[in-house]
Parts: sequence; C-alpha cells; structure tokens
Amino acid sequence: MFDLFREIGQTLSNNKLRTALTGFAVAWGIFMLIILLGMSRGVLNKFESFNSDSQSDRLTVWNGRTSKPYKGYKDNRFIQMKDKDLKTITSRNNRHVAEAYTTNDIDTAVVSTQKDYISKGLRGVYPQELARGNNTLLYGRFINDIDLKEERKVIVIHRNSARLLFGSEEKAVGQRVDALRLSWLVVGVFDNEWNEQPMVPFTTVKMLNGYDDDVWRIDVNLRDVHDMASAEEATNDVRTTLATVHEFDPTDENAVWINNRFENYLRGLEGLNIMNVAIWVIGIFTMLSGIVGVSNIMFVSVKERTHEIGIRRAIGAKPRSILIQVVTESVAITAMFGYIGLVAGMALMAFISEMMQGVDFIDNPTIDLRIAIEVTIVLIIAGALAGLFPALKATKVRPVEALRDE
Amino acid sequence: MTTDHIIRLTDVNKTYPGAVPVHALRDVTLDIRRGELVSIMGASGSGKSTLLNILGILDNYDSGEYLLDNVLIKDLSENRAAELRNHMIGFVFQSFNLINYKNAIENVALPLFYQGVSRRRRNALALEQLDRMGLADRAHHLPGEMSGGQKQRVAIARSLITHPSIILADEPTGALDSKTSADVMQVFRQLNNEGMTIIIVTHDPKVGQQTDRIIRIADGEIVAEPK
Repeated sequence: MFDLFREIGQTLSNNKLRTALTGFAVAWGIFMLIILLGMSRGVLNKFESFNSDSQSDRLTVWNGRTSKPYKGYKDNRFIQMKDKDLKTITSRNNRHVAEAYTTNDIDTAVVSTQKDYISKGLRGVYPQELARGNNTLLYGRFINDIDLKEERKVIVIHRNSARLLFGSEEKAVGQRVDALRLSWLVVGVFDNEWNEQPMVPFTTVKMLNGYDDDVWRIDVNLRDVHDMASAEEATNDVRTTLATVHEFDPTDENAVWINNRFENYLRGLEGLNIMNVAIWVIGIFTMLSGIVGVSNIMFVSVKERTHEIGIRRAIGAKPRSILIQVVTESVAITAMFGYIGLVAGMALMAFISEMMQGVDFIDNPTIDLRIAIEVTIVLIIAGALAGLFPALKATKVRPVEALRDE
Repeated sequence: MTTDHIIRLTDVNKTYPGAVPVHALRDVTLDIRRGELVSIMGASGSGKSTLLNILGILDNYDSGEYLLDNVLIKDLSENRAAELRNHMIGFVFQSFNLINYKNAIENVALPLFYQGVSRRRRNALALEQLDRMGLADRAHHLPGEMSGGQKQRVAIARSLITHPSIILADEPTGALDSKTSADVMQVFRQLNNEGMTIIIVTHDPKVGQQTDRIIRIADGEIVAEPK
C-alpha cells in the first residue's frame, strides 16, 4: 500500500499545477458544504433548544365556535370549557394524557405592603404552571396540591415585586401582602423574563370569583407521544372528549382550538430536515463540480499517460493494478484536498460560532464528528467514482496500441 | 513434451480486419532454441513487428499454435498474459520506453513492483542490474539526464530484473549512433554468452550479422531461415 501511495505521490508531483487546480475545486466544494451544513445545524440547534425549553410534549386548548351544525345545534355556537373538563380529559384519555391544568386571572388586583404596592393582577394556577410558564423558583416553594385543596391564600411573587415590596428577594418568603382586601402569605419568589404576574392557587381565585368554573384555556401534558401519528392521536382524543362533553362534531376543528406543540415541533423538525436534505443536495452539487473536475482531469491524465500505461502493461501490470492506481489517485486528490476544505470549513464555522453567540436564530453553528465522518465517506465515494470511469478506460488500453502512442 | 526449444510457432496466422483485410502473418512456423541469439529482419510492413508482438504476448494470433517455454500461449486472459510477460519476457524497445519521472533504479525495479516485491528488496536487485550494466553511479538519475546508450542499458537492466526466459528487443539500436549501437550489441552478446535467449527485431544488417541466426520475413511469411 505504501508503494502504491509512493507511486501516486510521484504522479501527482509530476503534474503539480493540474493537481493543485483540481484540488482547489474539490476543497472549495467541501468548504461550501461544511459552511452550509454548519449553518443548518445552527438553526436546528436553536430550534431544538427552543422546543426543549418550552416543553414540546404539551397541547393547549382554547374555547372556540362551532363551524358545523351538530345534533340539532346550529353552527357558530360558542363552546365554553369548564374547570371540570380537566378531570374528564385526564380520566378518559389514559393513552396519551398525563395531566391537564389551567389558569384563571383576576386582572385588577393590587398587591401591597406597608412599603409599596404593585398592580399586576393575580393569576390562579396549578402546580404545573411552574414548568409550563418557564418560571424559575428562586426562594421558598411554588403553589402545591394542598394549597389548591384548601383554597389557601398563599402567593408566589416575582423577584422584582419582592424587591419592591420587601426591599430584597431573600426576605419576602414568610412575609404577608395585601390583595383584594385579604392577607396573603408569600411562600415563594420566582423569576420569569416575560411575566411578573403574582401567582396564587387556582381554586382560591375560583372561590373569589364566586366559584365560576369557566376556563378560557386548558393545558394538557402528554405522554407516549413520539411521532406524528401518536401526536395527532392525542389531539383527536382530547377533541373527541370535549366534543362528547360539549356536544359538537368531533371533526369540527373550530369548536375548540387545539395547539399541539409536539405536532408543531415535529412539523418544524420535518421542515428543518427538508432544509437539511436540501443543503446536502446543494452542497453535494457544489462538490460535484469539483468531482467532475477530478474525473475530467483523470481522463486527461489517462490519455496523457497512455504510453506509460502501455509500458506498465508490457512489463507485467495487470488491468486491475492500473484500475487501482487510477482510482486511488483520484481518491487521494479528492480526499487530500477535500480534507483541507473540511478543516478550513470547520475552522471558519468555529469562528462564526464565536461571533454569533447570543444571536436569536442560530445556536452553535458547527458540525459534529458524525457529519465530518459522513462528509469524509462522501469524499472517498465521490473520489472513487470520479476515478472509476477513467480507470476503466485505462484498463481497456491494449498494450500493443498504448506502446505506439507517443 | 519438454523440448530444448524455448519458442515454437506452428502455422501461426494473423490478419488485421478492415475493408481490406491485412494478412500480417501467414502460416509462420518457427523454432528458437534456448540460448540462441536470433535476429528477425524484414522490410517495413513485412510483419516482423506483428511477429514480435505475438512472441511478446502483446497481441493475439488467429490460428496456429505458440509455445513459450512449453507454455501454450493462446486465448489468454489479460491477467494471465500480464503475468507471463512479467515473469517470462524482458522487453527492450527502440525508444527505450522508460517512465520519465522515475529515476533509473525505479524504472529498473518497476517489473518487481507488479510481483509484490518489497521496495527495499527490489531496489537492491535493481541496483545489482544497473551495476551489471555499468550504471550504478546513474541509479538516481532521471531518463532525461542520461544519454541514449545509458537509457538503453537501463532498459536492458529492467528487462533482466525478473530473470525472464527470453529478451525481445525491438530495434534496440535504432535510436543510437554506431558507437553506442556497438556497445549495446556487446551487452546483448555478453548476456547471450551467459545463456540468455535473445530475439532482436532489426532492419540493420550489421546488427543481424552479429546474431547466431537471421530469420527473414517478407509479406508475413518466413522466407529464408538459415544465415
């Protein structure tokens, strides 16, 4: 094998300019492929991190209006979901529903201490709201099942509110605030970039609203959903349950609005995968121009070296030896220059990754080892294919004719 | 049946097809004994190169029989033909046919590369052959850095490296001046004295006179064998 590479090294160094120009085309093709794949990976990374932050295995249902008449009801009927629908959804859909919960708001509440006040309203929540709303608990605890059961007047406040009302976040837990002419015990302090509304037990807000059990949204955490079919199944299960309870056509998608985040995630992923495939295709076509160049140059090389091939054949080279030599030469050019393109592309992507930290639409736009290995395999196959046809042509050269070729 | 003949051609015919078929060889029957120094002479187009190509397993023949060192050479695969050329035949050409980007030692060693001999071993053997040709000091020179006579001696060294049964030389002195031609013929005579069978295709009577036997060929037929 070492001998073969030495032979190839001699041939390539004998045609330096030709080798360099062909190599540049290959290196450029791979370089572009790596840049495209890196950028695509960056977008995919951002998409995946965004979806993992916001719990993609969840669906949300909103009240809607029917668009189809059903069992004597006219269309355009408003469907008002109820608090008790949570239990119905959970109990009737063991297959994909893990838990259901909701929120209710009192918009006009003022929360105050002797020191200061805030006017952000109150949000009645279930314990699951901590994760759903991307809230981070800083001190104390969040709303729990006992709070709900006993309709306790406990409150979890935002860190900014804690600072305003108590002077510091640490001191807030265990203190009391006033709201809606009631005294509330602060049990926790949370942080959230987008929402500073204080949170209290859902049942307490319901009690304060005169046990009104209307809800405007229901969140459902899913289980055993891992593909589009199971995600759609979960959506249909929930819609069918609500259709039975509220008597609307189960095929009426306007009666209640359902946003299945897992379905969206899969669709997004599908879109990104299509983009990824498109990028591979574009990249490979870019690289192909380099590969065609290699093939072309190998044809020229075989033509130029017909006499040499004749000499080699006369002194004992088998057709297979000539084939292996030409193909290996082609793979060597492609792999060597492709590798230069690969390393240059990866280095540039590492640099871009540093530069683009904190950019919204992209995250870590570098390619991993798996892609580098895939690209290397593509390179070797492409190089072999580029050399194969010229090599087959070389093996068909009859020694007696090749020796005449000058 | 084992005989003392290294080459036996019996009624060998070769026709090149075309609008007007060319009968390059007609019923050629020829025996060459082991250790002979033979020349094949004939005018241009007489069929001597075709005969050399068939003897060198570079080309096929249509009918008849060709035994090379008791091996029937007929309808061989490309691989088998390459193997026999590598092991049994040493070629020397008019235009030397050295690979110009390989130095003398690499050119001489090349046939052993196709036998899978290690680089160290084949370089040692190549150097031995170059030394035998008086070219040890030129071992690392490229063909472009050598004279015609030196190149032809490198080619002879290459033809000898696999210890072949015969050497086929196609106009080996055709590109050389008279002094160098004499030197090259001296090398062939020396090799023949050591027992090597050598067949030289030439149109130069001076070369023919230095061989044991002249085989004359005209219009694809052997016309007069005895010298």
